[in-house]
Amino acid sequence: MNTAEYIASGILEAYVMGVLPPEEMREVAANVAQYPELAAEVASIEATMLSLSSQPLPAGLDDKIWAAIESSNNSAGITPGEAPTPTGRTINFQPEYRKPRQWQIAAAVAALAASAALNVYLWQQGDKQSAERATLAARMDSLAEQQKQLALQVDKYRKAKEMMADTAMQTIVMHTVVKGHPMAATVYWSKEKSEAYVSVDGLPAPPPGMQYQLWVLMDGKPVDMGVLPIDMANTPSIMKVSKPVTGGQAFAISLEKAGGSPTPTMENIYVMGKA
Amino acid sequence: MENNATYTEEELLLLLKQQNRQAFNYLYRQYSGALYGVILKVIDDNQTAQDVLQDVFVKIWNNVSQYDASRGRIYTWMLNIARNAAIDKLRSKGEIMKSKIQTGEHIVNNLEQNIKTEQPTDTIGLRKMVDGLKPQYSAIVELAYFNGYTTEEISKTLGIPPGTVKTRMRSAMCQLREIFAVTKQEKER
Repeated sequence: MNTAEYIASGILEAYVMGVLPPEEMREVAANVAQYPELAAEVASIEATMLSLSSQPLPAGLDDKIWAAIESSNNSAGITPGEAPTPTGRTINFQPEYRKPRQWQIAAAVAALAASAALNVYLWQQGDKQSAERATLAARMDSLAEQQKQLALQVDKYRKAKEMMADTAMQTIVMHTVVKGHPMAATVYWSKEKSEAYVSVDGLPAPPPGMQYQLWVLMDGKPVDMGVLPIDMANTPSIMKVSKPVTGGQAFAISLEKAGGSPTPTMENIYVMGKA
Repeated sequence: MENNATYTEEELLLLLKQQNRQAFNYLYRQYSGALYGVILKVIDDNQTAQDVLQDVFVKIWNNVSQYDASRGRIYTWMLNIARNAAIDKLRSKGEIMKSKIQTGEHIVNNLEQNIKTEQPTDTIGLRKMVDGLKPQYSAIVELAYFNGYTTEEISKTLGIPPGTVKTRMRSAMCQLREIFAVTKQEKER
């Protein structure tokens, strides 16, 4: 380094004034530490500056400032001789810090376990409750269905009772025509209203693919009165005949293929009764 | 001023770290006047400036451990503390508008119009010395040393290259050195 040029550049003046960017301050400090002639120049510059700005101070100010320094140390409560004291405090504090931490960990673990157990319990309870709700819902549905059935049943009996009470209603009991097989069915017929009801509780359940069919014999000819529901046989139920019954001399029920036939299969006529 | 050579930077730092009255006495004798002069450039009132000086010494004393030799001289560090303390005091008093802190423009204007700013404080010696410099030098000394403007800020404020700012700092210091030498010789006679 050409120290003479370096000095002439004025960078040392700026350095002592402290007006260079931080990185340049570091560079100059390093150079000054390395080159004695730079250090000497810096000391000279500093001395000039001290003289330049120096102003007279009142006597006794040094004592006042020293007192302020001492009181600032006292207010801080720490003197160099007392340095070990904070260390002792730190050691005393450590067990107190650790105990709560262990307790806290234990408490946290316990709380976590309790929380997990509670969650499982509540989850199971929730599961149980939803299962119970489903069961209750099913039972409600079942009861509603039963009520509906009962209502239908009651309605049927009520109609039957009305029907029976109707003096104009004629009861025709159809007897078996198959020897050795005692069977019976009943037709209730109101000629005035052209209405008829049929009950087949005395007939056996029809075999698969077969269905009972009601006929009216008018002037020797069988007239189709419709098929009877399969589940109606062998049950105490009564059904209104879907077609108007205006006249006829006799009623008959035959076993036909499912859906019915245009004309009755003569050998399959099970019951017959005259009006 | 030859007393300055009494201690090297390393010795001075060791002395300060002893934290005793002898160390303080040296520090006070060596630097209090210069730091007070810098504070007086900012604070008009002598009593307030002395209060600030007291705060500055307390700060220096309690923060010696924070001084970093790789970032500058001990005096430069103390100078910064003094400038900042003075400006903080001024702000805390809400007196910034009344202060003697001059913007660069003001200094340049004064320079160009050759108008001297009023100086209520008795800074006759200093005034004379700085005034003894050529105007373009005295402005730079004012801005850098007393107001702490960086070389880059001065460059922008005065519209001259940073290199020129530094060479003018050099010229100003050389002139001042001669003035002090003459003054000293006169005193010795």
